[in-house]
Amino acid sequence: MTTVIPLDEYISEEWYPGFTPAFDHAPFYVEPFQTFTKEDEKRFWFLDFHWPRGLTPLALIWNEDGYAWGTQSAAENLPLPPGRGLSVRIAGVHTYASPIDIESGFEIGERAGRMGPYLGNFIANFDEIWADRRDEVERSWQHLLSMDPSSMSLPELSAMLKEARVFHKRAFEIHFEVMYPLLVNYLGFFGWCAEAGIDTSQIGKFLQGYDTKIMETDRELWNLTRAAKADGLANLFAKTRAEELNAALSADPAAASFVQKFKDFLKVYGYRTEGACDVALPSWIEDPTPALGMIKSFLEKDEEHDFEAARAAAIAEREEAIAAARAGLSAEEQVAFDAGVASCQSANFPWWQDDHNYYIDLRVSLPLRWAAMAIAERVGADNPEDGIYLFWPEIIAVADGEKSYEEFRDLVAQRRVYFNESRAMRSKMPKVLGTIPEAVADPVLIEIFGLNEHFLNAIKAAGSDSDVRTLTGLPASKGKARGIARVFNDADELHRLTPGDILVCESTSPNWTPAFAKIAACVCDGGGMLSHAAIVGREYGVPTVTAVGLATVVISDGDEIEVDGDTGTVTVYKRANAEA
Amino acid sequence: MHVLWIDGVEPGEAIRLSGSKMGRLAELATTGTKVPLAFAVTVEAFNEHFQSTGLDDAIEFELRGIDLTDHVGLEVVADRIRGRIVSTQMSQELADQIVDAYEELCDKASDLNIPTAVRSSATGEDGSDSSFAGIFDTFLGVSGSPRVLEAVRACWASLFSPRAIAYRARHGISHHQMPMAVGVVELVHARASGVAFSIHPVSGKRDRVVIESSWGWGEAVVQGLVTPDHFEVGKADRRILKRNINDKKVVSAFDFSAGHVTETNMPERLRLRSSLDDEQIAAITHAVLAIEDHYGYPVDIEWVLDRHRREGEPIAIVQTRPVTVVEDVAPVAYDPMALANKFIFSKGR
Repeated sequence: MTTVIPLDEYISEEWYPGFTPAFDHAPFYVEPFQTFTKEDEKRFWFLDFHWPRGLTPLALIWNEDGYAWGTQSAAENLPLPPGRGLSVRIAGVHTYASPIDIESGFEIGERAGRMGPYLGNFIANFDEIWADRRDEVERSWQHLLSMDPSSMSLPELSAMLKEARVFHKRAFEIHFEVMYPLLVNYLGFFGWCAEAGIDTSQIGKFLQGYDTKIMETDRELWNLTRAAKADGLANLFAKTRAEELNAALSADPAAASFVQKFKDFLKVYGYRTEGACDVALPSWIEDPTPALGMIKSFLEKDEEHDFEAARAAAIAEREEAIAAARAGLSAEEQVAFDAGVASCQSANFPWWQDDHNYYIDLRVSLPLRWAAMAIAERVGADNPEDGIYLFWPEIIAVADGEKSYEEFRDLVAQRRVYFNESRAMRSKMPKVLGTIPEAVADPVLIEIFGLNEHFLNAIKAAGSDSDVRTLTGLPASKGKARGIARVFNDADELHRLTPGDILVCESTSPNWTPAFAKIAACVCDGGGMLSHAAIVGREYGVPTVTAVGLATVVISDGDEIEVDGDTGTVTVYKRANAEA
Repeated sequence: MHVLWIDGVEPGEAIRLSGSKMGRLAELATTGTKVPLAFAVTVEAFNEHFQSTGLDDAIEFELRGIDLTDHVGLEVVADRIRGRIVSTQMSQELADQIVDAYEELCDKASDLNIPTAVRSSATGEDGSDSSFAGIFDTFLGVSGSPRVLEAVRACWASLFSPRAIAYRARHGISHHQMPMAVGVVELVHARASGVAFSIHPVSGKRDRVVIESSWGWGEAVVQGLVTPDHFEVGKADRRILKRNINDKKVVSAFDFSAGHVTETNMPERLRLRSSLDDEQIAAITHAVLAIEDHYGYPVDIEWVLDRHRREGEPIAIVQTRPVTVVEDVAPVAYDPMALANKFIFSKGR
């Protein structure tokens, strides 16, 4: 029997109060980003975990230029044989996506024929290709970073905003152009291993232990933690709330040396938002609370996270896992296996999944944000962030002097209310909408979003048992831990995690990485073997269970739970608000 | 010739005279493979016995107009035929020849009333065993002349199981076209037994040997009564690739009071213990590869590890057949696009 989750209540032509786009609103590649129509009920839509807050009007540029255009253009250009990328919708301010599958076996075959030579070349030259793309992103980034919005005229800001959008769009063309072939290579190797009888839960280990820009950032945070301790600031950190730390440190002469070190740190690592691809999020440069909050909680830990030891252990585990897998293969198979390991290590998907966030996801929205805020300030908005409550045609019209900001002042206030109301609905948003398939074929959806059969069944069975004590999911990182559950809907309060807590969330993003140095375990509603939580969980040796389905619904903040990363089970031992 | 020693026959003649199972054993004996002492009660003996005793006519009569869709009726007819075969005495001459051969077997083995395996060895087109795999009876641990004679008749009777009758009727084959020889084979005192394949029988990978093994005699393994230990050995470097030691709950053991091999509970201490060590695995691998090499195609074998075998001595082989069920798969070089097509882009199609 087909399960259909109706989407009637989300059908609307209006994207936000006061904005219904014209037909030619924006170019699109295969399918435009838009709101839901009744027709969409026939397709399978999943709630994307990357934006647990929801997206403001200007942030929806990501859905147009990144999510829809980026995946579709990459999928068409490679081409990716089985699909044309992802189609994107919003329900309220929350993003849903659906794979655009190709039905014709003939067409898939033709596309595979076209992709073959490209893939071989891509894998063989991955280092160079990724270095070239990084250089390209870096060039544009430096160009935009060199601008000083505070000293620019409105026409100049308009021009900057347009360049920022071009940069943002191009960055995501690159993102998916690189991600798809890496994933294809990885999944081909995965299939080979499964057929050769290798325990597939070991495959992630073959590729672990390679340093990324994100791990580098975490190490620097620990260096700062050490500096804070050496400078006798532990007490200041302990008694000051994270939000007030920046002011407190600046005011304390004893912290001068630390403050300088922290500034130097921010110059390199501070162009980073607390979430991926969202103009609504400030960078650490603008608001260092998250970074200082991390240092604060690191100081609370009795022991330092030993990065060298963790990395050495990850490498040792990698080599052991490879040796163990090799031992079970025939001499002929070992030749192919070695080639596969070498291929996937040099064009390393799990590694790239973390590394690229530094260059793309966590920073490329910033120039758009800065230009929009400067424009808002210049036209007399109540708050610079009001700029991100305007849609693209609106802010361009305002910046170019074609419309007065006064036309939008009240609307922006309404939209802020609308955003906050819809954001508050997040935990009640259906995880999936439309027609739920028996199984999902798209490897991206399975391996990254964790939309495996178990997840789909958990969703279908939802509501049938209100006092579920044991949950199951994908055993993503081994080990067992018991502790207090901290259920987070987004990363805003992440710095309030205390060591030994168990993180329970929809899914983690790169900005959540530092939290893994202090949590005892991690549980996610979504996420496959290649999701961020799975990869980072393995790197940090944190027991992790993903694709649980409804962990954030069933587990309440403060519950005492146990996570078994070997079996994929999560047990609730003690309810925080036990009624009986 | 009613009785034929398998070490005294031209390999070319062996199958025609003594059926495929014994014929292949005879052929194996000429290749230097260690096979147990054995003689066959020939096809000729079968034909003469069935003609002279009137069994042929009786069977002909029973099978006339048989309705294959009537399972109960088929069962009844098969029972009647088999009952008649089992109770029909052999001519004194044939019985004497078989008893003489059995006594000679005992002499060769330097013992009295040695236990034997009495095995059906059907003829017909080559590879007929595979169509009839496991359908004809084998009696393990048959000892003493009267029991041997009884077992020979029982093997003949197994040519008329309902399944065999139905198969022949469906394919228009008369039982005259597949007369049955019977092998009387010295029963090796098995410490462990099992099967081995020179190709992976399921995946078709030809880079490895697959060995299944359990304690005691091989019946429990062959009949699937026990989950045997499973080993895979790389052909190229003879490295052990897989070693799955399973919980072996049942053992085929010799029941001295009953005088045959029977299934009983595996002693607790042996259930989870590996039934083979590395040297024994290497010896079995060596044997199955030598046989594959001899025939030039993938084979499976039934082997027995004699409890008196010492390290370095060969393993006894009691049966061999060609492996016909799989498409063999040669390992290929790592090709990302080919793998992607196979594992990702063809899903759900």
